[in-house]
Amino acid sequence: MNKGSILTGFFCLLVLGLSAAGAEPKLLGDESDGSLSPPPHLIPLYAENEDGDKGEQVTPDMEFPMPFSTRWSCSDCHNYNLVKKGWHFNTMDSNIPAGRPGEPWVYYDPGLGLQIPLSYRGWTGTFRPEQIGLSEFKFTKIFGRHFPGGGPGEVDATDGDDIGRQLVSGKLEINCLACHNAHPGQDMGGQSGYAVQVSRENFRWAAAASCEFASVTGSAAQMQMMYDPFMPDPAEKNAPMVTYRKEVFNENNEVLLDIVRQVPNERCYYCHSDLYHGPEEKTEKWIQDEDIHLTAGLKCVDCHRNGVDHNIIRGYDNEADISDNPLAATSTCEGCHLPQDDQEPVAGRLGAPVPKHPGIPTIHFEKLTCTACHSGPWPGEQAVLTKTSRANRLGTPNANKAAEGLPHILSPVFASQGESGAGYKRELMATENGKIAPYKVLWPSYWGILEQENVRPIELSIVEKVIGGVFAAIELAPTGDWPQVTKEMIAEAIKALGTSVTGKAVYIGGGKLYSLDDSGQLLEQDNHPAAKPYLWPLAHNVRPAAQSLGVRYCTDCHATDAPFFFGDIKIDSPVIAEQDSFKRMIKFQDISPTYAWAFAASFVFRPWLKIIAIGSCVVMAGVLLLYALKALACIVKVLTGENQ
Amino acid sequence: MFRAISIIAFVITLGGIGLNCILRPCKECWRHPLKKLVQLFTLLFIEQKLSPAEVLRKLVYLIALLCFAVLAITGFYPTLVLDEHISGYLIMIHATFAPIFAICLAILAVMWSGRCRFTGSDWPWFQRLVQRVTLAKSTEQQVKNESCLGQRITFWLIIFLALPLILSIVLSMFPYFGTYWQELLLNIHRYTALVFALTAIVHTYLLVRMKVK
Repeated sequence: MNKGSILTGFFCLLVLGLSAAGAEPKLLGDESDGSLSPPPHLIPLYAENEDGDKGEQVTPDMEFPMPFSTRWSCSDCHNYNLVKKGWHFNTMDSNIPAGRPGEPWVYYDPGLGLQIPLSYRGWTGTFRPEQIGLSEFKFTKIFGRHFPGGGPGEVDATDGDDIGRQLVSGKLEINCLACHNAHPGQDMGGQSGYAVQVSRENFRWAAAASCEFASVTGSAAQMQMMYDPFMPDPAEKNAPMVTYRKEVFNENNEVLLDIVRQVPNERCYYCHSDLYHGPEEKTEKWIQDEDIHLTAGLKCVDCHRNGVDHNIIRGYDNEADISDNPLAATSTCEGCHLPQDDQEPVAGRLGAPVPKHPGIPTIHFEKLTCTACHSGPWPGEQAVLTKTSRANRLGTPNANKAAEGLPHILSPVFASQGESGAGYKRELMATENGKIAPYKVLWPSYWGILEQENVRPIELSIVEKVIGGVFAAIELAPTGDWPQVTKEMIAEAIKALGTSVTGKAVYIGGGKLYSLDDSGQLLEQDNHPAAKPYLWPLAHNVRPAAQSLGVRYCTDCHATDAPFFFGDIKIDSPVIAEQDSFKRMIKFQDISPTYAWAFAASFVFRPWLKIIAIGSCVVMAGVLLLYALKALACIVKVLTGENQ
Repeated sequence: MFRAISIIAFVITLGGIGLNCILRPCKECWRHPLKKLVQLFTLLFIEQKLSPAEVLRKLVYLIALLCFAVLAITGFYPTLVLDEHISGYLIMIHATFAPIFAICLAILAVMWSGRCRFTGSDWPWFQRLVQRVTLAKSTEQQVKNESCLGQRITFWLIIFLALPLILSIVLSMFPYFGTYWQELLLNIHRYTALVFALTAIVHTYLLVRMKVK
């Protein structure tokens, strides 16, 4: 054997060894034995110790029990590190493809004129939290209320102050119960539930607080950085403490958790609810209908499926190009509803009817997504203010019920995939196909520094200090709406910022870039790329076929005043003078407004066209019939010898 | 598929017409090309000697010809050249000229059918076959036709093809046909339009050739 062969063999073994080391081992609960019967989760609960490892078992006789850790309690049977790779938890992993743009986290402060979309995913139009000075720890404290732990919640703090705070608060582990606890007592947004605990920096206690058999008091945020949560002092006022209901423990100190594999819809709803403030104010739940799929008896997770790796299907076209989930290709609208010729038939899964689409020219399927006609609220003259769980804290004690409360998200906006705002073209992503789809839209408002064509947002600490001073006299709206900001105030604020930052200070708001010229006068620039609105698709609630666009007639969309093309979208701006500005829906589509209008107008003549065409056919058919009969008469004559 | 078939069909048809020009040349055209060109151009005018009915017939024919040109260009250009479906302003122009064309075809069907009817002299072989079968002698007088057989065949073909051509697209506008039928109707429209266009080209060529002669 020569030296080369030995080396090659060695490298092969090394690669195999490394691959094996990288692969996550499957534990008891990670692989099904084929039984469809759910296993009972009667398990011991373990707390985390000072070193972040598995601590002692939680028992009812502990004087100062620690909160159980989902990581250490569940990881006997489920590979926690594998679960961490799931879509809900992998936001910090830069190797994960961002996929189709989704809902951002929105940081807002009406008093500072701020409404800025944030995401760790790198979606175009969003900013990374650290760009505005939000560390992972601070981000978790603000937004952890609506994510099921993991991600930024588990990142080791690096900022001096955060390190100290994290020693007290702990990390926000993945809260398995947030989704998988079917017990009605699971408390995510209640008075002392998960969201409240996160806002109190009780990260370590949040999962326990959310379950039905434990309650948490106190606040880690109010503790000194030197406070040791592993040696709780009962004399310490507001020290975070957990109390377990003793009767839930059996003789082995195990607890029966109502864990289900198929996540109940209500768990999804906590983070994935929408509220549309339409002109009719149909905001009460009992007035609204839910998604037709759920009405038909499906669960969210029937379509949004995942394995133990929690790589859940988001459910858009071409997701299979970037997803490892083997069902990604078939878990789309078309996957269930349309027959496929080239593979094992999957259409009709879950009772999905094959749509007939009578009278709909097939060109519509090339130009529109299914959701364009079937999803979201029926479009009105204006896109309506829309609240989402994550943006507007729905389901938490702090939720602002006023329609005008920030952040201002508008929907439905019908836009071409590949557009990122009115007139702001961008290249199509691999997951997009240029079809028109319904979107939610957010007009960003923030203070920044102009760097060539880009605007870099200014850190919150500077904004709070400088703008807070300039806007100190501003009267905040009790509804949580924008306060009355004038252009003079914007000019003054930019001027003040200019002395605090390096570079040209600007303000982005209402689709405009505000800056000062050399003489100190306020300049306004429309359609600046940095001022473009952020759009993300909406897919639910899906309406039934009988309530889809076009079901009545073509003029549902092809009319000169049809909202689909000619609906208005308010350009949301804190600046008073700009608050009555609108953009037409067509501006978000890759279509000429003149053409769309002319095409819509032509539908007035459509009945005439039909009558003329059919009338002409009747005449021609009559002529053909007449001469055919004449020809037949000739043949008859010849054959009967009458023409002799 | 449709694109390839269409291109081949157009090439064959236009090639056939070219070949016909070469194999059966119009001698006058080669001798006095300018004169013939002027004559060709004058075909677009309406002679004063024509009766009102003939004026209407020619006028309708010319409008139909214009509509056909517009419909063919707007219909085939995006498919054959751009390799995409007709859309945008082209479809609006297409849909605007289509009903005018349909009316013209209906009028022409009424006004031209008489002179385009087939006679026994069009089918001498058939006549001979009938005589042999029936042992009868033909008593039909030889009718002098204004148009050649090819013209008459193409005329009736045009009228016949117009029905599926028009109905396929009009029926698709009614909310009775689902996606499968929509696709089928669209394909009927496209393929009928192809055959229709080729027939109309041949018909026009034969008509012009006869007039120029």
